[in-house]
Amino acid sequence: MTPFALQLRRDLRLGWAGRGDMLVVLGFFLIIVTLFPLALGPDPAQLRIIAVPVIWVAAMLASLAGFTRIFAEDVRCGWVDQVALSPMSLPVYALAKALGHWLLSALPILAVTPLMALLLNLGSGQLAAMMLALALGTAALTLLGVIGAALSEGARGGGGLMAILVLPPAMPVLIFGALASTPEAGRLITPHLMLLGAVLAVLLAIAPFIAAAALAESESESGG
Amino acid sequence: MFDYLANPTRFMRIADLLLWPLTVLAGGLLLAGLYVGLIASPPDYQQGDTVRIMYVHVPAAWLATLGYVALGLCGLFYVVWRHPLADIALRAMAPAGAMFAFLTLVTGAFWGKPMWGAWWVWDARLTSMLILFFFYLGVIALANGFDQPERGSRPAALLALVGLVNVPIVKFSVDWWNTLHQPASLLRSGGVAIDQAMLLPLLLMLAGMHLYFAVIVILRMKALLAERRITSLQLRQATRGSR
Repeated sequence: MTPFALQLRRDLRLGWAGRGDMLVVLGFFLIIVTLFPLALGPDPAQLRIIAVPVIWVAAMLASLAGFTRIFAEDVRCGWVDQVALSPMSLPVYALAKALGHWLLSALPILAVTPLMALLLNLGSGQLAAMMLALALGTAALTLLGVIGAALSEGARGGGGLMAILVLPPAMPVLIFGALASTPEAGRLITPHLMLLGAVLAVLLAIAPFIAAAALAESESESGG
Repeated sequence: MFDYLANPTRFMRIADLLLWPLTVLAGGLLLAGLYVGLIASPPDYQQGDTVRIMYVHVPAAWLATLGYVALGLCGLFYVVWRHPLADIALRAMAPAGAMFAFLTLVTGAFWGKPMWGAWWVWDARLTSMLILFFFYLGVIALANGFDQPERGSRPAALLALVGLVNVPIVKFSVDWWNTLHQPASLLRSGGVAIDQAMLLPLLLMLAGMHLYFAVIVILRMKALLAERRITSLQLRQATRGSR
């Protein structure tokens, strides 16, 4: 097995063992979505208008809640130091962490999104486009989260700091994602979806290296 | 030159030498710019006196964006060469740049209300400037987010670098998208598109505000260096006392 696959397997096993954390993120997502009909009132026509934005923002906030944990345990128990000593390069490690995190926390969100769309009275015609956009968008968001988690590893006041680090660069993802989720009738692949894919491609190329640069630092300073 | 300045004592000496002339020059230019801009220049034929907001709004916006470029360059110098002053400069510039970004947004709102009829619109220029302001806040929060201040240096430098992506978006948003915000009048192909009578106060304010920015940054750098020195002296004294 390649180091990447080994790292991914380790993350998935640990994530599965602690699946309570996964459920907390999912619960957070469900609760944010539930709050809107309570605040706005139950009118189906109005709910349909806000369905896409609400689901996007809820997915972003719920993802944010999980980001502080990405590297915390690995740094605490010395795993990052071991990786730094091992033949596996830190960017590969960071990429494996990103994929593992996406599978563990974004995939459950995607899985319950159809249910949320039902609650918010979103037409089933739009659901496919939104799922596709959300899949790309959460992946881009996870890569930003990996950068944020690596940068703020060991910092005080994790949650608020994470929001201020990750959300500004995530705004293009939200803009293109929300636009791609509301395509003109009958079209699935829109220019907005392609732009979202481009953002994801750029992040795939740079995020592992930025995260590795930040991790190398926190590792050398906490160890030294 | 960058190696030469790496010695804080040497930097302090040069900074002290520059500080007063720069302060006097900045003050003079700002006073002259305000006088010409507010009193000795004509009102706009369409906008009337509200055009005078430009003399603060435009220089502030330049400084917010150029300040971020400088911040990103400091980040680069710190990440690549570990230049000790780059970190100090980054920490000194971030709040100054954030202040100018904030000033841009506030004066823009004051200008937008009479001209567009709204304090705020979700226009590409305004939104990208708001995001720039958030990036400043992120850099400040990250630089000061650690119990040992030095640990924040590299993350803040990396974030400053990442945020550079947004700067061309701010600059070219008015060309790329059809925005409510007007396109560039100074730095544009085809030359300056602004009347002489308004160009003079604008240039005076631009020069004055840039020097003012330099003065704030030098003052803050001096304060940060002094702060580090106090910390190290305190540590030394505490060690001596414990014996």
